[in-house]
Amino acid sequence: MATTAIALCLFLLATGWIWERLFTTSVRASAEEQMLIVARGLVDATRKDADPAALGRTYVSEAGPRERAPGPSILLPDELGEPRLSRPNSGLYAYIETADGSLAWRSPSMTITSVAAVPNPRPPPGDSRFHKIEIDGTEPRFLLGYTVILEELEDLELTFWVLNDQAPFSAEIREFRRSLVAGVIAATLLLIVLQLGTLRWGLRPLRRMAERVRGLHAGQRGDIGEDYPAELAQLARTLNRFVAHELESRERYRRAMGDLAHSLKTPLAVLKNALTTPDRPDKTLFDDQLDRMEATVSRQLSRAAAMPPVLPHEPVPVTPLLERLCRALDKAYAEKHVDVDVRAGDVRVRADERDVMDVLGNLLENAYKYSHSKVRVAAGKDNRHATRAFGRKSSAPREEAIGLDAIAARSNPCEVVQIVIEDDGDGIPESAKQYVFERGARADTAHSGHGIGLASAVELASAYGGTVELADSDLGGARVILKMPA
Amino acid sequence: MRVLLVEDEMLLRAQVDKYLRDAGFVVDMASNGEKGLYFGLEFDYDVAVIDLGLPKMNGIDLISELRKQNRAFPILILTARRDWQDKVTGLEVGADDYLTKPFHLEELKARLDALIRRAAGYASPVVEKGPLSLDLGAKEARLHGDPLELTAFEYRVLEYLAMNPARVVSKAELTEHLYEQDFDRDSNVIEVFIGRLRRKLDPDGTLKPIRTIRGAGYRFSL
Repeated sequence: MATTAIALCLFLLATGWIWERLFTTSVRASAEEQMLIVARGLVDATRKDADPAALGRTYVSEAGPRERAPGPSILLPDELGEPRLSRPNSGLYAYIETADGSLAWRSPSMTITSVAAVPNPRPPPGDSRFHKIEIDGTEPRFLLGYTVILEELEDLELTFWVLNDQAPFSAEIREFRRSLVAGVIAATLLLIVLQLGTLRWGLRPLRRMAERVRGLHAGQRGDIGEDYPAELAQLARTLNRFVAHELESRERYRRAMGDLAHSLKTPLAVLKNALTTPDRPDKTLFDDQLDRMEATVSRQLSRAAAMPPVLPHEPVPVTPLLERLCRALDKAYAEKHVDVDVRAGDVRVRADERDVMDVLGNLLENAYKYSHSKVRVAAGKDNRHATRAFGRKSSAPREEAIGLDAIAARSNPCEVVQIVIEDDGDGIPESAKQYVFERGARADTAHSGHGIGLASAVELASAYGGTVELADSDLGGARVILKMPA
Repeated sequence: MRVLLVEDEMLLRAQVDKYLRDAGFVVDMASNGEKGLYFGLEFDYDVAVIDLGLPKMNGIDLISELRKQNRAFPILILTARRDWQDKVTGLEVGADDYLTKPFHLEELKARLDALIRRAAGYASPVVEKGPLSLDLGAKEARLHGDPLELTAFEYRVLEYLAMNPARVVSKAELTEHLYEQDFDRDSNVIEVFIGRLRRKLDPDGTLKPIRTIRGAGYRFSL
C-alpha cells in the first residue's frame, strides 16, 4: 500500500510540473502574440499614416527635431492603437529600426530615462523573433522584433521592436503556481484517503477469510463459509474442500484404527487363553486366529492408508501398469506357465499410481494363483454409472455415500474405467463370495491370502469411489470386475 | 545348498535361519544391505532371500548391484503385503520370486527349492536315466522304482551335483556349499560320501551318474 501511495504522489507531482510548464509556455506565447499584434499595428500605422514626404527629412524625437538622420525617418500619429505606447513608462515600449541600424522612431512611452533600445540581431524580413531580456539593474522584459519591407515607402526595410515588462506575466505565473500547488496537495491527500478507504473496504472479505481460517485452526469452525465476492469464491470452495477432505481422511483413519483394535481383541484373547490351558496348543486354532488377525490388519491398513487427494488426480495410464505387473507375475509364477491375454486400450484412471498398482496387483496375483493355466485381462471405458453390486454392509452407510459423491465430485460420473480380470481356475463359490468380502478370511484353504488380497483391493478401490464385483468367468474360474473413476 | 539371508528383523532372521539349517541349507546371514552386498560378492551362493525394507542400502539397490556385478544366483524377495510397486521393481531389477509377510516357512523352503531347480534348468523336478530316477522336488532317489535309502548328507551332495549339471564341481566347492564355515574340513570326507553315493545309486557300475574328473572334481551326468 505504501508503494501505491508513493507512486501516486510522484505521479501527481509530475502532473503538476507538466501543468506548470504548459502554463508558463502558454503565458509566454500569449505575451509573444500580444506583442506581435502591437508590432503589426505599428506596421499598419506606418503604412497608412507615415508621411512619405517627411521621409528622409526629419528625425523626430520627444526632445524635438534633430539634425538630419542619414536614413528615412518616420512620422506616426500621436494616437496609436495601443494606449500604453503613448503613456510614458507604461511598461510597453516600441521603436523602429532601419536596415542600417539607426533608430527611425520610438514610442512616446519610451522615454530616454526609462529605457534604452537594446541592440539585437534583426530578424530576416517577414520574420519575428521573441526574446527574454534580463539586464542587471533593470526589470526583466520581453522583446519582440519584426522586420518588414514596405512597398508603399519605396521598399523600405524596417524592424519593429516591441518591449514589454515581464512583471504582469510573472505575477500571473506565480498566481497559477500557488493554485496548482494547493490543488496538487489537495488531490494527493484526497487520493490517499480514497486509496486507504478502497483497500480497507476491498480487503474486508480477505480479512474475513483470514479470521475464519484462524477459527479453523482453533477448532471453532469446520469450514470457512462461502459468502465471498466472486474473485475469492473459488479459493474459498477449494479451501473448504481441503478441510473437508482432511476431516474425512482423519475420520476414516480413526475408524479404521478403532475397528482394527476391536477386531484384534478377540483372536488375541482366544490365543492367550489357548496358551493357558494344560493341553498342547492346537495348531489349527493358532493358524486360524493368526490368519484372522492378519486379514483384519491388512484390511484396516488399506482402509486407513488409502488417501485419495482432494483435487482430481492426474490420470494414470493403466496399460503400462498391467504390463509391468504381468511381467513380474510371469517371473514369479514361471513354473506354472500361465498364458496371459491382456487387452487394454489407452485407459487412464484418476488415482495415485501406487494405489492403482496395489489394487491391480492384488487382483492379478489372485488370478495367477488360482488359474490352472489361463488368465485374461481386459481394460476399457464404461459409459454407464458405476453400480455397487457388492455393498460392504459392515461399513457405515456414510462411507458409501462419500464413495458415490466422490465419483460425482471428482470426475465426470459417466467416465468410469472398467478392468476385468478372469482366470480358468475353480472359481470362488457363491457362498464364499460374501464371506470373502466381509471378513477377508480364506475362501480356499489350499491357497493362502486370497480373501485378504481381494478385501484390500476393495478397500483401496472404494477410497477412490470405485467398486469391485465378482462373477463367474466363461473360462471356468472367477471374473473380477474393477471399476474406477476415469 | 548355500543360501544368503538378508533380513534386518532379528527374530524373523533367527527363525528362518534355524528352519533352513534344519532343512539342510548352509545359511549366511546379513542384517543390512551393506553386509548383504559384501557377502553376495564375496561368496558363492545357490540362492538368496532378501527383505526389501533394509537399513543401509535398501533391498532394491542391493539386488540391482548384485546383478550388475554378475551375481546370477536366484533371489527371492520378502515384502510387506501392500507394496506392489516395490515387488514389481524388485523383480524388474533382477529378483526371481517374491513372498509376502507373514509367510509359512514351508512355503519359503519350497520356493527356494523351486528357484534352485529353475536356475539349474530343470523344467520338471524329476530326472531320469535308465532305472535311476531323482525327484528333486520330493528329494528322493529311486532305483527301479524303489526308493533309495540315502542319508541327509548323501542326498545333499547328490542334490548339489544335480543342480550344477553342466559343469565340474570341485571338492572345495562342495565343502563350501554343504558345510557350515566352522566345520573342520577334511577333503577325504567328500570322497567317502561320493563313494557311498555311487555304490547306492549305481550298484552295477553301469550308469555312472557321477563322473570323476581327475584333478578337478565331479560331474553329474544323469
